[in-house]
Amino acid sequence: MATLTVSTRVGLVAPWVEWEKRCTDGRRLLEAGTYALTEGAIAAGCRVFAGYPITPATDIAEYMSKRLPQVGGYYVQSEDELAGMHACAGASLGGLKAMTATSGPGYTLMHDAYGWSITNEIPMVVVDAMRVGPISGITGAPGQGEFYIARYASHGGNFETIVLSPSSVQEAFWLTIDAFNLAERFRTPVTILTDQVISDMWEDLFIPADYDALDFVIPRKHNLMMPFYPVGSADLDVPPNLIGRGTGVCVSAYTHTEEGYDIEDMAAQWAQTYRLINKIRHHTDQLARYETLGLEDAEVVAVAYGANARTVKTGVLEARRRGVKAGFVRPITLWPFLDELYERDCRYVVCELNYDGQLVREVMRAAPDKKKVHFMGKSAELHTVAEVAAGLEGVARSNRVPELPYIWTEVR
Amino acid sequence: MNKLAAKYLRPSQIPTKACHGCGLGMIENWLLQAIDELGFKQENVIFGTGIGCVGRQTFATWGGDNFGATHGRALAVATGLKLAQPDKKYLIVVGDGDAASIGTSHLIHAARRNLGVTVICEDNMGYESTGGQFSPTTPANYVTNSSPYGMAEPGFDPCDVVKAAGATFVAETTATQWHQTVKIVKKALQNDGFSFVHVRFPCNENFGAYALGTRDTLKNLEWIYEHTQGRKPDGSETDFTWETGIKHDVSNSRPEFSKIMRDMNARVQADMAAKAAAAAGDDKTRDDGHGTH
Ligand SMILES: Cc1ncc(C[n+]2csc(CCOP(=O)(O)OP(=O)(O)O)c2C)c(N)n1
Ligand code: SF4
Ligand SMILES: [Mg+2]
Repeated sequence: MATLTVSTRVGLVAPWVEWEKRCTDGRRLLEAGTYALTEGAIAAGCRVFAGYPITPATDIAEYMSKRLPQVGGYYVQSEDELAGMHACAGASLGGLKAMTATSGPGYTLMHDAYGWSITNEIPMVVVDAMRVGPISGITGAPGQGEFYIARYASHGGNFETIVLSPSSVQEAFWLTIDAFNLAERFRTPVTILTDQVISDMWEDLFIPADYDALDFVIPRKHNLMMPFYPVGSADLDVPPNLIGRGTGVCVSAYTHTEEGYDIEDMAAQWAQTYRLINKIRHHTDQLARYETLGLEDAEVVAVAYGANARTVKTGVLEARRRGVKAGFVRPITLWPFLDELYERDCRYVVCELNYDGQLVREVMRAAPDKKKVHFMGKSAELHTVAEVAAGLEGVARSNRVPELPYIWTEVR
Repeated sequence: MNKLAAKYLRPSQIPTKACHGCGLGMIENWLLQAIDELGFKQENVIFGTGIGCVGRQTFATWGGDNFGATHGRALAVATGLKLAQPDKKYLIVVGDGDAASIGTSHLIHAARRNLGVTVICEDNMGYESTGGQFSPTTPANYVTNSSPYGMAEPGFDPCDVVKAAGATFVAETTATQWHQTVKIVKKALQNDGFSFVHVRFPCNENFGAYALGTRDTLKNLEWIYEHTQGRKPDGSETDFTWETGIKHDVSNSRPEFSKIMRDMNARVQADMAAKAAAAAGDDKTRDDGHGTH
């Protein structure tokens, strides 16, 4: 695994840093996150959206229903989310890039389709705009409860997943293109784990003038030959399989051979798993996207992703103003988990939008000393700058998060 | 291997692991006969299935492209695939559990959309690959491994369901009716829309053994045949009768789903082009020199 010497890097590490410099011809808009996610998909060549409306992802469906026919694509309002993601899998197998979008209650229904798509290496993008839960929870409030579910998006184990999370409307646009690219290269569904704030929020958005001119978009290629499944190989950039060209490709729910035949055999199970895990694990260097700040001298580092990272980042700046040597880590790639971001032997304060503590458990695992990892969980509402600054100050000075209303600190 | 199997199936994948005497292989042969008589090319027919005996024992036998969806989801996958590959013929071969229970919502909505696929629901009147539990098509009062006191729940007829939902071709047949089945499947495949063919067949291993008390293929076939006639060999009436044959045929009477989508796209794009042309004309007449688009 490639080790990044994160401690010396400051700023944003993501492919769109370069893309933004190169794309200057375009329009500046005031638009919503859902709009950016939709346009990012269209720019990436998405031509099928199949999904079922749900707050706060509904607007993606509505935008798609308008945009796709304009570009020769198809909007399918599926009978449920399970059908939506399976229809995306079918469309992708037929050669079209596809996307679906939902929120927690719909995401829960997709696990069946995730398993099928992951195992059969079917590229697509799934957006989950998280709201606070469990179940319907509060429909118009943000949550971050699907951190682990997105990693373990299917039962059965024996696979890795790619999960990205944007923290602005503009980033949602670029990150969606990136997600489609990764889906093609890794032959797998890529999940965009966003939240109610990012999807509903209106913000400054730059949209390139000509999507066809975006040379960093990876076009769909087709694998027309055996092996259809390079089991036992970690190769990247294997073109996706295509149904409808008479190649004789077989796609199924079973453990498969390289032809796609069902097989009940230890060696085959091993080879398939090797492929599904290592095509991702052997290429984590291609998957690192993150933002850091102040790591040169940080004694306490705040960790947050998505919308929440915005107030947390400002909280870090506020703490620094108050004389605390505070730093900031915002993982954009949530999975595979970027352990190297937590190499620094210092205190960590993990701020996330749930009370049970999810991201914090991974930081505890990755950090040199788990006792120096603190939790500030909040639910249904972003952390305030004051809360974050107070938390960082407390941890820096006395190694504990002070008591604050509606902040959960216990992790067991 | 017979001639049709040699022409269309994969030698490495047959015989399947289906039980000896299972009706699945026979019905598949009839499907091949229909395809052959219609002259469809192998690369133009996509074979989709689900999970269960029907799914597992037919998956990857077809020499062309195959998919085996998770239990019940074949039609959900086909909905997306049809948009991407509209010119192909689709044979979606699924069990009664796939079609009439776990995947019923997809069945209904595929019928409503008039999705251009032919569904062959191979109905052995229960969940046989899990060892013979009842399904929504198990006849009333019959004993299965999960209806030890007889099937108590009311069932339904999947043909009625898809017809009500908008299917454009609906037929019912059984594994005792070779020529009728081939004729029906040929008609089904010629409908550019949603076709549903319900084929009852005997599962000797489970339904036969537990509901009918025999694993004898001929006896099980005979039981099915009697129920299509409404009479037993001794002349007495059977407990119920299945009406087989074509139940509803409005083939090619309304547009197929992917065509509806393509037509809409053409309309939207024509409108856009017209608006753009009009805007360009406006600009010229106004001649304000700095457009605001
Ligand atoms: C989601 C899910 N639930 C349950 C099962 C277990 N299962 C496999 S096949 C089957 C029943 C199949 O019945 P049917 O579709 O009628 O096919 P048959 O085996 O009778 O041919 C069940 C319940 C499964 N594979 N997936
Ligand atoms: S269990 Fe029944 S349906 Fe399944 S293969 Fe055996 S005979 Fe056929
Ligand atoms: Mg059955």
